[in-house]
Amino acid sequence: MTGDLLVILQIAGRRCALSALEVKSVIETGTITPIPRAPAWIAGITALRSQALTVIDCRRAIGLVSDAADGEWPTDHRAAVVAEGGHSYALLVDGIEDITTAAGEVGQIPGGFGAEWSRVARGMIETMAGPALLVDLGALLAGPEAVRGEIEAAA
Amino acid sequence: MDDLLAEFIAETREMLEASGGELVAWEADPADRARLDTIFRFVHTVKGNCGFFDFPRLASLSHAAEDALADCRAGRRDPDQHLVSGVLAIIDRIAQMIDAIEAGEDLAAFGPEGGDEDLIALLDVSHETSFSAGLEGVKEGSGGGLAAASEDQGTSTARRADPAAQRTIRLPVELLDRVMSGVSDMVLARNDLAHRLRQAGTQPTIDGPFERLTTILSDVRDAITRMRMQRIETLFSALPRLVRDVSAECGKQVMIDLDGGDVELDREMIETIRDPLTHIIRNAIDHGIEAPSTRLQHGKREIGLLAIAARQSGNTISIAIADDGRGLDEERIAAKAVATGLVTAQDRAAMPRDKVLNLIFEPGFSTAETVSNVSGRGVGLDVVRQNLEKVGGSIKVASAPGHGTTFTLQIPLTLSIIAGLTVEVAGHRFAIPQSYVEEIVQASSRALDFTRMGETALVTFRGKRVPCLMLGEVLGLAEDEATATEPTLVMLRLASGDLFALAVEGIHNHGDLVVKPLAPAVMKSGLYAGSTLLDDGTPVLLLDVANIAAQHALVSDTRARVLGAEEDAAGASADTAPRAMLFTDFAGRRSAVRLELVQRIETAPASAIDRSAARPRVVIDGLILPLLGLPDAPLTQNRVRLLRLSDGTCELLYAVREVEDAVELTGALSPVPEDPLVEAITLIGGTPATLIDAHELFARHGEPPLAAERLRCTLPEGEWARAILAPLVAAAGYDIVGADEADDGTVGILFEDVYEVAEALGRPIPPRVIRLRDQPEAPAGSETIYRYDREALLAALAAVASARTGEAA
Repeated sequence: MTGDLLVILQIAGRRCALSALEVKSVIETGTITPIPRAPAWIAGITALRSQALTVIDCRRAIGLVSDAADGEWPTDHRAAVVAEGGHSYALLVDGIEDITTAAGEVGQIPGGFGAEWSRVARGMIETMAGPALLVDLGALLAGPEAVRGEIEAAA
Repeated sequence: MDDLLAEFIAETREMLEASGGELVAWEADPADRARLDTIFRFVHTVKGNCGFFDFPRLASLSHAAEDALADCRAGRRDPDQHLVSGVLAIIDRIAQMIDAIEAGEDLAAFGPEGGDEDLIALLDVSHETSFSAGLEGVKEGSGGGLAAASEDQGTSTARRADPAAQRTIRLPVELLDRVMSGVSDMVLARNDLAHRLRQAGTQPTIDGPFERLTTILSDVRDAITRMRMQRIETLFSALPRLVRDVSAECGKQVMIDLDGGDVELDREMIETIRDPLTHIIRNAIDHGIEAPSTRLQHGKREIGLLAIAARQSGNTISIAIADDGRGLDEERIAAKAVATGLVTAQDRAAMPRDKVLNLIFEPGFSTAETVSNVSGRGVGLDVVRQNLEKVGGSIKVASAPGHGTTFTLQIPLTLSIIAGLTVEVAGHRFAIPQSYVEEIVQASSRALDFTRMGETALVTFRGKRVPCLMLGEVLGLAEDEATATEPTLVMLRLASGDLFALAVEGIHNHGDLVVKPLAPAVMKSGLYAGSTLLDDGTPVLLLDVANIAAQHALVSDTRARVLGAEEDAAGASADTAPRAMLFTDFAGRRSAVRLELVQRIETAPASAIDRSAARPRVVIDGLILPLLGLPDAPLTQNRVRLLRLSDGTCELLYAVREVEDAVELTGALSPVPEDPLVEAITLIGGTPATLIDAHELFARHGEPPLAAERLRCTLPEGEWARAILAPLVAAAGYDIVGADEADDGTVGILFEDVYEVAEALGRPIPPRVIRLRDQPEAPAGSETIYRYDREALLAALAAVASARTGEAA
C-alpha cells in the first residue's frame, strides 16, 4: 500500500481516504434531481455529460446523520465520481482535501472505529497528510440498510 | 418474401457456422449429451423453417436427421460413429443446398428428386446390422457430396468475393455503444452551446453554421439509433402468415391480433426472440386452441384468438402472447413432471398452480400425446427459456382452464432509446414510456366522475370505471391542489391489457429518450426503470409503469387484452354511428360538434383573446384564428378551453365552458330550420344536445389562418443603418419597413440629433422610439443608447416586443 495515491476526504468531520484509482474525477455538483421514495442516503441523480450519476450522501450512507442533525457538517460543492458494478456515483462529502501518498500499510486500531464506521472501513492508513480511515467503496455504496439486514438475519 | 428467404439463409448459415465446432466435438464423443442437443435443435429449426418455404428436400433431410437424433435423445438408440457420419453428411448437404438457394440455383443440381435417399437411408436403423456396408455408404455419400461441394464452392467463392454482393459488415455491439454514447455527449454539448449562444444574443455569423451543425448532429443521431434499433414490427409482420399456415396445418381457425409493433428494440434482441416467439405461437395453435367443433361445444367462438402485445418499459420489453384456447392442464403437467422425474410426488402436492404450470419450461418436458409436424417433440419451451435466459430475459406462463393461456416474455435492454412523455408532479419531472400511453385526458374531476372508493380512486373513461393512481401519492410527494380539482390524466395500458389512469399536474413534452440503467439501490424502490437526460441536460427518472401498477395490484393475470379485443371487435361491427364531441358552451347549452372537425382541444389564457375587433381572435401557434362562442360578458376564468375546428383549409376556434366527451350520435337527428347555425337536435345520453352545423359555421366564419403580424421597425437613413444596424434588428425578429409603411405598432430607431430636431419642430414621431447616440458615454439624464452597445440595443428591442405582445393580448 505504501506509495499508493490516495484522495483525502472529510466525511462527517473525520479524515477519510479513498484509493485514487477508484476516483474517476472530481466534479462541481450541478443540480441534483431528488429521487422520491429512494433511501435517504441517496441524494438524487445528477448529470455528467451524457451520463447520469447517482449522488450518494456519504454521511448518511455510513449511517451517521439522522434527519434532526441535518446541517451539522458542511457539504463541499465538489463531489468525487466513482464507479462500482458498472454504475457511476458522485460522492457528497464535507470536503475534498488533497491527493497524497500512503505512508504505510492498512492497519486496524484497538477498539475499532465504532459500529457505523467499521462497516465501511478497510482500516487505518498513515498518509503524508496524517492518519486517515481508508473507506471500502463497495460497503459504502451498499448503504446503511446492508448492516441492518445482516443484524436482522442474525437475530 | 425475399426478405424472409434471405433471413432464412442467413440464419441457417449462422447456425451452420456455430454448429460446426459442435459437430466436430460430437464426432469425437458421440455420447456428449449437450452437443447432441445443440445439433438436434439446429436440424429442428431447419425443419421448421423449411415448412415455411417450399423446400421439400431440405425438409426431408432435416426430418430424417431429427428423427435419428430424437431417438438418441430418448435413449432408444445409441449414438455411434455410423450415425454421426450420417448426420454430418446431411448437414453438409444442407449447407450446399443453402448456398444453391442463395444463388438462386435449382436444387436439381444435387441430383433428381429423391436423390437424398442415399443419405437418409444411412440413418436407417436397419443399416446398423450391416455396419461396415453402412460406413462405406457414408464415405460414398459424403464423398459425393463433398465433390459436389467443391465444384459448387468454386462458383460460390467467386460470388462472395464480389464486393457489390455484400454491402454489410458485422460490428461488435460495444463499438456501436461507444459511438452512440459519444453522439449523446455531442448532443448535450450542442444543447449547452445553444444555451450560451442564446444568452449572448443573436449572432448571424455563428447562427448559420450552428444550425447546420444541429441538423447534421440530429441526422447522425438518427442513423446511429437506427443502426441498433428495429421496430418489433419487422418481427410481427411475419406472424400473420405463420399463424395462417400453422392453423391451416392443424385444421383450426385462428385470428391474430398484434399490438405494440412500434416498440423498438435492439436488432440483436429481435433475432433472439424470433425463435422463441415462433415456438410459442406454434404451440399455442397446435395445443392451446381447440378445433372449431370443440370450441363451439364449449360455447366459444369458432375462431380462436391469438393476441400478441409488446410493451417497453425502460430497460425491459415485455411481450405477452395470449390465446383463448383450452388452457394448460395442471394435473396432466404435474403427472408428466412426476413421471419424468422432474419433481417428486411430495413436491408436487406442495406446489401451487403457477409453479406447476411453469414446469413446462423444464428441459425434456412435453405433454403432446401425438407428435405433430408443427410443434415437434417438446424442443420448444426449454429452448425458449434457455435462449431468453442467455440474454438475461425470462418467460412465465399463466393460464385459466378453459379460458386460455398467456405467455409473458421479458427481455432486457442495456441501452435503449424510447419515445417518452415528461410529466410533472409537485415540481418533480418524470418520464413515462410512450408505448404505455393510451390517451391523455384533461378535464375537471366532475366530468371524469372522479370518486374515492376507500383508498382507491376511480375515474370514468369512455363509459368505464378505471382505477386512478395519483402520481404524487405513489411517490410520496406533496399533492398540489390543482391536481385534485383539475388533473391531467395519463391513461396507461399495460402489456396484460389492464388500463389505469395516472393523475399528474402537467405534461411537458415528448421525444426520444436515451434510457440508462440506474444504480441497484435506486432500482430497489421498484418505481423507476431507468434514468434519462432531457435536452437541457437535466436528468429525469423513468417510471417503471408495469411495476407501479403491480405494486398497487392493478395487473390482472387473466387476459384482459383478449377480452378487450373481443369487445372492440363486437363494438366495431355494430358501430358505424358518427361521433361527435359533446360540450357545454358559454350560454350553458349542451352542444355537440362532429368529431372529424375537431383538430385539437386548446387551452388558452383569457388574456390571449383579442376582443378589440368586431370578431374576437386568438393567436395560437403563431396563427391568428377567429374565435366563436364567447359570452358577451367578460370572462371570469383565467383559462379558456377552445375547440380547434378545421375543414381542411380554414380553421376556427370555438370557446366552450366545458368539454365533456366524445360520444356517438345514435339518436335521431331532428333538424332545426329556424336556427341556421344548428344542424339538428339529438338525444345524447337521454338529454337533448344541439349539433352545430359545421357547413354554416365555416361559411360564415371560416378563413385561412393568418400568420401573426411580425414586429416592424423603421431605421434611420444612411449607410451605417443599412449595412450594420439592419442585420442586427432583423435578427432580433423585426421586419424593416420604410417610413411611409410605418403604423402605430412600428418601432422607430432614430439618432438622438434627428430625434431632437423632430421634437423641436413638432414633426411626427413614431409612438415607440429607440434613440441612438454617437458617443459611448451617456450625457446625464439621457435615454439614449450608444450605437455600438449591442446588449442595450437588443434589450431595448426585446422590451418593445414584449410590451407589444402584452398589449395585443
